[in-house]
Amino acid sequence: MQYEVEIGGRRRQVAVTRVGDRFAVTVDGTTKQVDVARIDAHTLSLIVDGVWPADVTIAPASQAGDLTITVGGVPIPATVNGRRRWGRQDDAAAGTGPERVAAPMPGKVVRVLVNAGDAVRARQPVVVVEAMKMENELRAGRDGAVAEVHVREGMSVEAGALLVVIQ
Amino acid sequence: MKKILIANRGEIAVRVIRACRELGISPVAIYSECDRTALHVRLADEVYAVGPSAPRESYLRIDRVIDAVRRSRADAVHPGYGFLAENAEFAAAVRDAGAAFIGPSPGAIAAMGSKTAARAAAARAGVPVVPGTADPLPADMADAEIAAISARVGYPLLVKAVAGGGGKGMRTVTDPADLAGAIRSARSEAGTAFGDAAVYIERRLTRPRHIEVQLLGDEHGTVLPFVERECSIQRRHQKVVEETPSVAVSPELRRAITSAAAEVARAVGYTNAGTIEFLLDESGAFYFLEMNTRLQVEHPITEMVTGLDLVRWQIRIARGERLDVDPERLLAPSGHAIECRIYAEDPDNNFLPSPGRIQHLRVPAGPGIRDDSGATAGLEVPIFYDPMISKLVAWAEDRPLAIARMRRALREYIVAGIKTTVPFFEWLLAQPAFADGAFHTTYLDELLRSRNGRPFVEPTPQLEEMAAVAAAIETALSASAVGGGATPLPPQNGRNGSSGGWRAQARVEGVRGL
Repeated sequence: MQYEVEIGGRRRQVAVTRVGDRFAVTVDGTTKQVDVARIDAHTLSLIVDGVWPADVTIAPASQAGDLTITVGGVPIPATVNGRRRWGRQDDAAAGTGPERVAAPMPGKVVRVLVNAGDAVRARQPVVVVEAMKMENELRAGRDGAVAEVHVREGMSVEAGALLVVIQ
Repeated sequence: MKKILIANRGEIAVRVIRACRELGISPVAIYSECDRTALHVRLADEVYAVGPSAPRESYLRIDRVIDAVRRSRADAVHPGYGFLAENAEFAAAVRDAGAAFIGPSPGAIAAMGSKTAARAAAARAGVPVVPGTADPLPADMADAEIAAISARVGYPLLVKAVAGGGGKGMRTVTDPADLAGAIRSARSEAGTAFGDAAVYIERRLTRPRHIEVQLLGDEHGTVLPFVERECSIQRRHQKVVEETPSVAVSPELRRAITSAAAEVARAVGYTNAGTIEFLLDESGAFYFLEMNTRLQVEHPITEMVTGLDLVRWQIRIARGERLDVDPERLLAPSGHAIECRIYAEDPDNNFLPSPGRIQHLRVPAGPGIRDDSGATAGLEVPIFYDPMISKLVAWAEDRPLAIARMRRALREYIVAGIKTTVPFFEWLLAQPAFADGAFHTTYLDELLRSRNGRPFVEPTPQLEEMAAVAAAIETALSASAVGGGATPLPPQNGRNGSSGGWRAQARVEGVRGL
């Protein structure tokens, strides 16, 4: 199974394959062997590559497909497959068509780092949004060219507001 | 005494229930609507609903609590702290209902509850008080006259509510031009918070420490002080870390400050548990600040270094027993203890309350660790009350070991689903000034300002990658449950192919992403 997991404004392609009672998980081209044991309804104990243990608590957040994952005492918001978490996998769609970079939370645009027409690389920061006193770098999900810029510095944006479209 | 009603909720209600059980006494709980599933309700022998969730409609309703006392036929009431614990009217109502109030007399509560009356009592006992006005400022006093009094007290000064506590109704004034405005706003805040707008003026000491002395007094004239507690680590006048003994208190100073505390208590005929708070200035001089006529949140650290159970003694004293312990033992601490108040607050969002459901809880344990808590996995932390969910206490032979133990325990502590102050404490206890014990009552506020909003919780690339792995695995497990194909997790789940109802339920839960 192939998933797109968005964390901290960065999208990662994650492939999960069952190997016996373990999982082979490939993130950004690197594969880890993960032993998984369920502790309770929300908590998994992982052992990565045979020796590295981690307790992770995975709880649904307010929006479908959004999760809050607590690992090492740090709550990390994650989105799996955008809004399509429970839909059919559509692997062919990944990497084609326009990419819409949207604000993950309400906030204020403090910097716009690209102009229409600029070439961008995957993971390049495109817009910085300040929310809850923190600056959040929102990044391009893939290589391409900036087709549209919908915000300018100083603007307030709602959660889900379209910021930049990458062609 | 066979049955005690606990007029409180959360972790302190659980703490009192435990003391009752150990004495063979039956505990009775009260609860508001949103506390139906709280731990104190589930641990008690009898429970009485006292109304809607808002405290004014339940835990603060003297009539409803007294009704529960009558219906349960409890022979005593423990008030905990907060809510009605320092309400003389409530203490009197408990006695009128034929039950014992586990605390001081209504007269002692009233006498020490007024800050100006308490200062006068301390002065009569020969204990120095912070320079300031002896009486509340009359409401009709002219601004010019207040300014003249303030100039005599000296700047910087504090405008404080007579009925105050927890920093409410309190203003610091450095510039005489700000005085009139500070008095107006302190009066207004005090009127709202305490129903009493009276304020007085006190000199503000520079960089003082907050040192307090726990006392127990029996009903036969014995009053005994305990080794001091150091409570200088405060955020906006609220204690967040307490420890005992204090690095700033020598054996000579301990004799002097604990004797002074006992003198004040004896002067007002004080009984049961109480605490006298002092400010200690940089020269080593101490000044009476106020008395709390109840058990304190930080009582466990005193229990850890003296071996006495303070709640048990509160109950024994209320039964009329004599305080027959060796006074020297109470002043000779064994080792060192530290408490961190774990709050359901988001340290990265200006410590705003973070209510919600606790999805997973891993509580630290092991050598020297005590977690006094009312939290359980699945519990909803309500928005209506103080957001403290636990008091984490570490004891060890000496201070450096106690700090190391606390840091180890904080690392073990996982509260998923809500934000807590655990990451803030991990940072604070790693500060060199904390390790040196070099702090005062405004140290933490200054330190937090100098951080300039830098987050306490910063996901590293490694943690983000682990989160991505976990998110994908969880989604894959849920997807296979939806598809009904492979069993989700063979070794742990084990129950494949049982009843169709169970499988259907598993699918539903898979869809919910549980």
